[in-house]
Amino acid sequence: MNVTLAVKQYISKMIENSGTGMKVLLMDRETTSIVSVVYTQSEILQKEVYLFERIDSQSRDNMKHLKAICFLRPTKENVEHLIQELRRPKYSVYFIYFSNVISKSEIKALAEADEQEVVAEVQEFYGDFIAVNPHLFSLNLHGVARGRSWESSMLSRCTQGLTSVLLALKKCPMIRYQLSSDMSKRLAESVKQIITKEYELFDFRKTEVPPLLLILDRSDDAITPLLNQWTYQAMVHELLGLNNNRIDLSRVPGISKDLKEVVLSAENDEFYANNLYLNFGEIGTNIKNLMEDFQKKKPKGQQKLESISDMKAFVDNYPQFKKMSGTVSKHVTVVGELSRLVSERQLMEVSEVEQELACQNDHSNAQQSVRRLLQNPRLSELDAVRLVMLYALRYERHSSNMLPALMDELSRRGVSERHRKMVKSVVEYGGKRVRGSDLITPTDAVAITKQFFKGLSGVENVYTQHQPLLHDTLDQLIKGRLKDSQFPYLGASSLRDSFLEEVMSATGQSGDRAQGSSGRHGNRR
Amino acid sequence: MASGYPPPFEGTGEVKEGFLCPLCLKDLQSFYQLQDHYEEEHSGDDRHVRGQLKNLVQKAKKAKDKLLKRDGDDRPDTGSYESFYYGGVDPYMWEPQELGATRSHVDYFKKHRAARIDHYVIEVNKLIIRLEKLTSFDRINSDAAKIRAIEKSVVSWVNDSDVPFCPDCGNKFNIRNRRHHCRLCGSIMCRRCMEFVPLPLAQKLISGTRESLCVPGSPVQSQSPPAGGGGSGMGSRRGSISSLSSVTSMLEEKDDEKIRCCHHCMDTLLKRQQKLEEKDHTPDIVKLYERLRMCMDKVDEKAPEYIRMAESLNAGENTYNLDTAGGLRLEVQKYYELIDALSKKILTLNAKDDPPPHPKAMQLQRMIRYTATLFVQEKLLGLMSLPTKEKYEELKEKRKQEQEKRLQQERLAAQETLKKRQESEKNRPPPSTNGELLQAPRAPRMTKASGWLPSADSGNSRSELQDPLLQQIENIQSFLRQAREAQRTDEVAMLEENLRQLQDAYDQQQTSLAIALSQKLAEEESLQQGEIHRLKAREREEREHWGPAVGSTQPSVTWERCLGISPTEGIQDEENTEGEELTPKADRSPSSVRAFPALTSQEESPPRLRSLGGHVTPPGGEGQNSTSLNPFEEEDSTPVEEDPSNPFFEDIQREHKEVTNGKKEYNPFDEDEDVREEKQAETAPGNPFEEEEEDSDAGNPFLEASGNSPGVSTNPFDGDDDGEVLPDVDIIEEELLLQQIDNIRAYIFDAKLSGRLDEVELLSENLRELQHTLQEQKKKKH
Repeated sequence: MNVTLAVKQYISKMIENSGTGMKVLLMDRETTSIVSVVYTQSEILQKEVYLFERIDSQSRDNMKHLKAICFLRPTKENVEHLIQELRRPKYSVYFIYFSNVISKSEIKALAEADEQEVVAEVQEFYGDFIAVNPHLFSLNLHGVARGRSWESSMLSRCTQGLTSVLLALKKCPMIRYQLSSDMSKRLAESVKQIITKEYELFDFRKTEVPPLLLILDRSDDAITPLLNQWTYQAMVHELLGLNNNRIDLSRVPGISKDLKEVVLSAENDEFYANNLYLNFGEIGTNIKNLMEDFQKKKPKGQQKLESISDMKAFVDNYPQFKKMSGTVSKHVTVVGELSRLVSERQLMEVSEVEQELACQNDHSNAQQSVRRLLQNPRLSELDAVRLVMLYALRYERHSSNMLPALMDELSRRGVSERHRKMVKSVVEYGGKRVRGSDLITPTDAVAITKQFFKGLSGVENVYTQHQPLLHDTLDQLIKGRLKDSQFPYLGASSLRDSFLEEVMSATGQSGDRAQGSSGRHGNRR
Repeated sequence: MASGYPPPFEGTGEVKEGFLCPLCLKDLQSFYQLQDHYEEEHSGDDRHVRGQLKNLVQKAKKAKDKLLKRDGDDRPDTGSYESFYYGGVDPYMWEPQELGATRSHVDYFKKHRAARIDHYVIEVNKLIIRLEKLTSFDRINSDAAKIRAIEKSVVSWVNDSDVPFCPDCGNKFNIRNRRHHCRLCGSIMCRRCMEFVPLPLAQKLISGTRESLCVPGSPVQSQSPPAGGGGSGMGSRRGSISSLSSVTSMLEEKDDEKIRCCHHCMDTLLKRQQKLEEKDHTPDIVKLYERLRMCMDKVDEKAPEYIRMAESLNAGENTYNLDTAGGLRLEVQKYYELIDALSKKILTLNAKDDPPPHPKAMQLQRMIRYTATLFVQEKLLGLMSLPTKEKYEELKEKRKQEQEKRLQQERLAAQETLKKRQESEKNRPPPSTNGELLQAPRAPRMTKASGWLPSADSGNSRSELQDPLLQQIENIQSFLRQAREAQRTDEVAMLEENLRQLQDAYDQQQTSLAIALSQKLAEEESLQQGEIHRLKAREREEREHWGPAVGSTQPSVTWERCLGISPTEGIQDEENTEGEELTPKADRSPSSVRAFPALTSQEESPPRLRSLGGHVTPPGGEGQNSTSLNPFEEEDSTPVEEDPSNPFFEDIQREHKEVTNGKKEYNPFDEDEDVREEKQAETAPGNPFEEEEEDSDAGNPFLEASGNSPGVSTNPFDGDDDGEVLPDVDIIEEELLLQQIDNIRAYIFDAKLSGRLDEVELLSENLRELQHTLQEQKKKKH
């Protein structure tokens, strides 16, 4: 169930298959990011892969002393490029791997192009997704939906991605989807169709409890993405932007050249791996410890190394020191920037009000707090809009809804038209009409008492009161209490015992991409 | 109940030690606490007792079996794995994952390709055979008509009338635009679409194909030429016709040295040619690369071996020979140099060619060089240095002493335990009375004994293993008591039976142990006396050996002392300076804390704020400097990076500044060259590596040491003469210097790569110094 490992294993198998000698990796745009997320350059260099090329690149030279490993998505264009490549081969041998199911006719076309007999391998290796974390993958799609239905090309890409994950993990799951979302249903059906069609591929060893694929629609919980998070990875993602585990720090004032873009990968960075899900305060302490460690290990000053014994000590400590100095300066910069942003945008206060909006049920208080913050000139435009969005979602049907007044407040602040429109879009996207499960007011008795007790015992952390809906959904799923009426099984199966293996919140935003609503990292089980 | 051991015999779970309650496995810090705990918690716990008893008895039986069989390693190594991911799920805990699903299309692909290839191969071979026929006679001396006749016989030409237009360009044929026939396939094209196969190319193709066709079973070879007029006859005819000259040659140029063919045939032939060329041509880069890989493989093979040796030698063991280790080190280093040289060669390959090589080729070369440097960096830095000869002797000495000390301790421990054991055996009360009370004082001593315990000594390890047996007996005794109190006769009977069995086993062991121990005692006594004698002798030797050396004013000897060959003073000094350096740092540390006022100020901030950083323990107690609501606010005035009070940040900043100020070249390889050149200029003419090798070869300290002054290592009395000892010292030092130079070079390179210019400066200065010393030494030697 480790998607990173799954892709890594695929790629090392590819390289292994090609034997020794200098190699070039031929990829397309998407597979390039698939590979680069799981492998660092130096790691892959050690496996004698020295060049990384795009199949569609025109500037490639004849290099008959290289072996080519092609890792491509089975698209029409790629096959066409490959046919051209095989007609006039630039490398000595070709090992071809497609990231998904490819049709027989295309294989035939390729075979007929290979007059020089340069192809040594044609296989399907199902690494058709970007493995961000061991338990999180993404397809990096934008604009998957038009209104409330799928963009058809995106539906098929999504289906391909999902089936490839299933194949990479060797799971043939039961499928459940969110009834209230038509898109979920379509995707579920589409995946099921592929499984039926490629039944021999999905013929895995049967487990006692079949794995489950649960398909959810983001619109069911539009609130969570609007909240500010306080764990390390989530903060980085929210405030600095985390794209394929890379952060772009070029906008940070006074940044040094080699820190313009840094990679945060739990695979290679122990500090990051340990602090991924810790909250901001804890990270501060840990980074302080890290610095102290570093100071200890730092060779005695950058001064001259006087005697041979000095040098000896230096030499012994040098590699660790170097490695550490990289980690330290990276994290110090990142955390420094985070705390700068937090104070600049007054995120503590904003977050407090956000949490109040999300978790408490006191309309007048909430609306006062929102108003108060909107008066604050230091509040950024984005945060202001997000607060109003939250309010709009939360008190959508409240009798004394103050939304128009708040909107006025926004325009008085000079918030742009585009941003103001988003408030309406978000309500359309994730409002009450759309939601399948009731996000805000708990209905059953258990939940009400739970909330009551929670209120009694006091909140332990104001900034992290909110529990995403996903948490509840998964909790119910594990306990076997997820209602069939809301999340029906696909197909005639009546197996009740389900075991959580996989979650995928598939659908993103439609045209009106509300800010900050990209799926958030963390909170996965 | 000194140390419970529930799971170890089953081999699962973790090993718990300490005062564990046998029922709930709770660790209670002392025996008394455990006793109290037991009486309080479990005395009334009848429900469990029976099951527990059975369980325990079984365990005891198992323990007994194991002990009697003397099964050595019954404590499996259950090192608990430290979890990396605190939040979320630790992926390392997930079940091992096999390679995901795959599907191969190779068979299908090959099937379709084979059909295609057959077709293609036949076509090519047909062309080659025709080409052979066309060139197998003397074209130059034959007249055009003759040639034409032969050409026509090879392939049937297409009728002129059938082709009114050129099939390639579509132009109409007429008087001016005449038809031309391809000599290889007989098709027609116009003059402009015609191509020529030069004879040399034809020859090459034919000879190349012939070689490859020598493979038996090839289908093409057996293929007979299509038309009559076999090739063998043609050659014999040519002489007689040579004198004739024809008018046709005036109309149509004679194809002396080339053969007409169509575009299509030419294409096929050219492809064929390319393939033939590539077959025997291996570019330089491949040859170099292959050597590079070979060196890397060698290093992968030798380096771990060396590291093992060096570790053992540095620990003062004498499993390995210092000389062989030194030799191995040299060998590995030579491989590193080779890797460095080869990869540099690859990097500069073709760089100065006139049409500069394709950028991708250059990129490839750079990448190979980069990988090689990464490899060297990673592996070379892990290559620890060897102790010098003297140091090694010392290490051995130290180790011996340690061992002796340990031996002594063991002996004492053994005696003590023996005494105790005998005592306890004598005093062992009837099981029904106060067994526990007597056990009480024993427990702590047992743990103490196990603390001394080494691994090697068999007698002692057995006595430790014996403990469980005793403990079982105790356990059962107490249970027996309880059972009696509870008046469960059936259990009592069972327990008594078990107790008897256990005691029998124990008694057996005791007697055998006692015998073994007394034997060992005697042995050790004699051993120890010998050891003491030897020690005394050595001490004497040492004093005499070091006396003159310490007193000597020779500069090289003081050097020696700097190097830590006589560690006593050097190490102490180092420790002093370390201590001094550490204290100011510790003083300064609170100020570094201020860089994160957010963390420290939480003491003062309202409780709500604390809730976020709830787990933060303010490190310095320096919470007074902030009373603001938002702990992050303070950073507005003093941004993290610019906090002057933090020495650490200063450093980082300085580093950054220097990096940005200094010219920063991104191509590390150019720079590397510079450094090398510099170095070459500094040291001596010629490749520094080569020089080094010569040096170390010439002055291999170990060879000389064993050859010239064999007494130094073994008997110092022979080597009292200063003159003989000193050069040896010199040479060893040289070796060390060379090692240092090596290492520092690696760092310079490394630092250059990552662009830390200040470090580079520092290091190169050190390097110069070292080299200077080296040269001085050399001068002195001669």
